[in-house]
Amino acid sequence: MSTDPALERYSRQMRFPGILEEGQRRLLRSRVTLCGCGALGTVLANALVRAGVGFLRIIDRDFIETNNLQRQVLFDERDVADNLPKAEAAARKLAAINSSVHVEPVVTDIDRTNIEELCRDADMILDGTDNFEVRYLINDVAVKHGKPWVYGGCIGSHGQTMTIIPGETPCLRCVFEAAPNPGEAGTCETAGVLGPIVNIIASYQAVEALKILTGRHDKINRDLLYFDVWDNIQRRIKVAPLRGKVDCPCCQRRRFEWLAGEHGTQTTSLCGRNAVQVSHRRPTLLNFEEMARHLEVHGQVSYNRFLLKFHAENCEFTVFPDGRAIIKGTNDVDKARTLYAKYIGH
Amino acid sequence: MPIRIHIPTPLRQHTDGQAVVEVSGTSVQAALDALGQKYPAITQRLFDNGQVRRFINLYVNDEDIRYLDNLATPVKDGDELSIIPAVAGG
Repeated sequence: MSTDPALERYSRQMRFPGILEEGQRRLLRSRVTLCGCGALGTVLANALVRAGVGFLRIIDRDFIETNNLQRQVLFDERDVADNLPKAEAAARKLAAINSSVHVEPVVTDIDRTNIEELCRDADMILDGTDNFEVRYLINDVAVKHGKPWVYGGCIGSHGQTMTIIPGETPCLRCVFEAAPNPGEAGTCETAGVLGPIVNIIASYQAVEALKILTGRHDKINRDLLYFDVWDNIQRRIKVAPLRGKVDCPCCQRRRFEWLAGEHGTQTTSLCGRNAVQVSHRRPTLLNFEEMARHLEVHGQVSYNRFLLKFHAENCEFTVFPDGRAIIKGTNDVDKARTLYAKYIGH
Repeated sequence: MPIRIHIPTPLRQHTDGQAVVEVSGTSVQAALDALGQKYPAITQRLFDNGQVRRFINLYVNDEDIRYLDNLATPVKDGDELSIIPAVAGG
């Protein structure tokens, strides 16, 4: 065992035969970009910083609210009172946990114009986001630049995770060809989420990161893992044969449609109206009946053939059948995108 | 022994809350047709113009039907058919 005092804090991890001192030294040299620092992201950041990655970039556009504390393990009541951005509050906590890790907080909205720069110097990317728009962007960047990444998603009492190694495994678009339409699948705001399922999914993601960063590709999970902790379901779906079997635009034809801006949303601040419009580059056809059912937990929802209206977080949402929404009560386009992802989903 | 279809949480509002529905049929399509006969509202949630919605995957005994025979994939009594949508939250 090493006598290097800088490694003493990792002694129990290095005693584990899968890591040893060699693996620890690789971890200490590694660089990770974490996209999103909410429920999954805080568990991931906590695990990686304690384990001793060298550099962790944490990107998040959001601020901490009281209703985050039930599951977002790095935050506390003081952070809410101080009105801190999530990335900044996380970086402060992580510095107290392990000051030898270089944590770089970035308070920004991840989009197609900045994601390549944010991921360029990383050995791998971790998914702590709450929406498919950013996940497909991560998938495009990862495949384009040959970087491994680990998908995780949770809602209610269930969640799923898979590891993507470009050139070896199917990518996210091989497995999930398209994101649910806005309002179709529910979000953590509309369907709720239990803290423990988030910890389970993020912990699987974190251990996959340890395998990737220590060079143990032989140990990587090649299946889609699915858990429902309320209904006691665990499934291991064999997705490996999908690689090459589906005509994937991303990893087979190397067309990076999300990076190219062919999909996703765009925002426009509606000058003088204290409102932001969020629209889809490819219009969808919404099912207002389904959407209203998801949103009713937040109060009254009204709709007709032409539009659906509801209120949340002091904003008025007017949603149109093509997925476009006008969010009244803010001029902040990042906040509007956050609200869209939380209540309508994409 | 029938085919057991596992219904994901977001779709259980269309199956009277049932997490598992037992049906008969010799293919994935036939099993889903039988599910739709019991619970008509679920068909529209699963299919769009006769195609499985692209964010929903179907697995027979944990194998993806896209590398089997898609909706024509044969099923037999005792098989498990799982409907698993993409999960967005986090």
